[in-house]
Amino acid sequence: MSCQNSKNIYILAMFIRALFLLLFSLIVVSCGNSSMTGSNHQSNMEKLDKIYGKCKNPYRQYKKIERRVCEDKQRAAGPDGVVGDPINVTEIMNRVRGIGSNTVAVSDTNNALWDGSLQVLNNYSLKITDFDGGYIETNWINNSDLPNQRCLIKSHITSKELISTGISVKIICEKLINNEWYLSDENFTEDEKRLTLKILETAQTLANT
Amino acid sequence: MKKLSYLVSAVAAVFAANAHADVSVSGSADAGYLSDVTGDGRISIGSGVVFGLSTTTANGIGMSTGLSITVDQDGDNAAGAGGGQSVTFTTGGATIVVGDVELGDTPGSTGGTVGNLVGDVGQFDSDVKTGFADDDGLGVTLSTSAGAATISVGYIVDDNVNNSGNMTDATDTMSAFSISMPMGMMTVTAAVADHDNTETASGATVSAALGGGTLTVGYSTQTLVADSATVAGSGFSVNTTSGAIEGTAAVTASADDLTTAGDSEVIGAKYTMALDADTTVAVGYTNAQDADSDSTTRFDLSLSRSLGGGASVYLDMRTLNGDVDTNGGGTAMGFGTAVAF
Repeated sequence: MSCQNSKNIYILAMFIRALFLLLFSLIVVSCGNSSMTGSNHQSNMEKLDKIYGKCKNPYRQYKKIERRVCEDKQRAAGPDGVVGDPINVTEIMNRVRGIGSNTVAVSDTNNALWDGSLQVLNNYSLKITDFDGGYIETNWINNSDLPNQRCLIKSHITSKELISTGISVKIICEKLINNEWYLSDENFTEDEKRLTLKILETAQTLANT
Repeated sequence: MKKLSYLVSAVAAVFAANAHADVSVSGSADAGYLSDVTGDGRISIGSGVVFGLSTTTANGIGMSTGLSITVDQDGDNAAGAGGGQSVTFTTGGATIVVGDVELGDTPGSTGGTVGNLVGDVGQFDSDVKTGFADDDGLGVTLSTSAGAATISVGYIVDDNVNNSGNMTDATDTMSAFSISMPMGMMTVTAAVADHDNTETASGATVSAALGGGTLTVGYSTQTLVADSATVAGSGFSVNTTSGAIEGTAAVTASADDLTTAGDSEVIGAKYTMALDADTTVAVGYTNAQDADSDSTTRFDLSLSRSLGGGASVYLDMRTLNGDVDTNGGGTAMGFGTAVAF
């Protein structure tokens, strides 16, 4: 009798626990976007990712293989979080052996446009600066007020002359949805035009000084 | 990660406007050389592919699960399939996982920096027991935030099953609660866990930016039951008259060997630092002691460098000293390469 009672009490206690958790979950989900709970969840998780590493963040559930893939990705990206271009071993070997060291390259990049682009983009960290190709690309630009969005700027100088068609600027933005970054479908043509104009104006000023 | 535009997206869109179905494929492969604690050289290869299946409903709730095919690096293994035993629900402010979940049974324990090659293949065998007998099973976890604090609560209804079980007759339940909060320049994480078999755990870590890197220190304490694993041919027997189980628990030689129920303690620290945009170095220290008065001291060193294109190289080293099983302590060092797809 006593054994049966204790079993009933145990089942009741377990049922209450499960019910409590279910109700709590529903309340949190229903308030998921309120200011009280959940509104900072993404940014909080990103901060904890930086402290513990995304793969060892105790607030993320990973299976063993998922954690291993995550760690390999983390190592591949390095501390800056960006998977860079692969190392060209042949190029390194050729450089060591002196092959190709006498190649003379002539750039089609206008100096004023190049300097103007660098000056306009100097507030952002740059991922690629290739003078010969006239190409500049920033790292992802994040805004703490918009943790679910990031953008980068590409600038390509295509002329030796300081002309309005000698540079093209492209803005690429992504949105964070379910922990995955997706390309934004917003149109940034007007922003790109404004940025192009700013670079041309700066280049003109530099060319005249 | 390669995104596949899947026919499901179009089909689902017919039924739910704005629904966003997606199948993602990611994976990695590792190849490494290891000098284990006995001084033996080992070559170890592992690889895995994870298929992630997800969708977002019209009202913004994400649902996802994942299945995997893995060749485990820990031994001479063939490919095996796994995963798919849990479903994750996400809203903008909360993540709920239902199914096979793992709860933290050594909260506050820190100091491990090495990867799978040295940590799991290195042949370490400590005599110190930390952590519950079982910390995963069929249950639910909820992770959300309240202001700057991140909280997580989890409950396992039966740790003997993973994706399907009888809740009414289940006996091995576990619960856990964790909270992380920034305090000035530090971030404090505190957590507790409780198991049906009377095992409990609590602990905390404190992290702060220091000298260009991140320092994490932690303390964990667990109240554990004695190991009840038996050796074949000895241990328990059934009394044929009364039907009662009689005998004394015997402990396997290679188990964690906790013969005395009581408290275990883990103190640890870890420092991680970026040397440049592609290179990371991490060092860790962990001291553990259990109710048998067995104790170990562990030192970890890890160095990894990104090569671009998804590839990286790494060097890991671990030294374990103290109360260990035969040939279970010493230094293991490994290096290798990994590529993520």
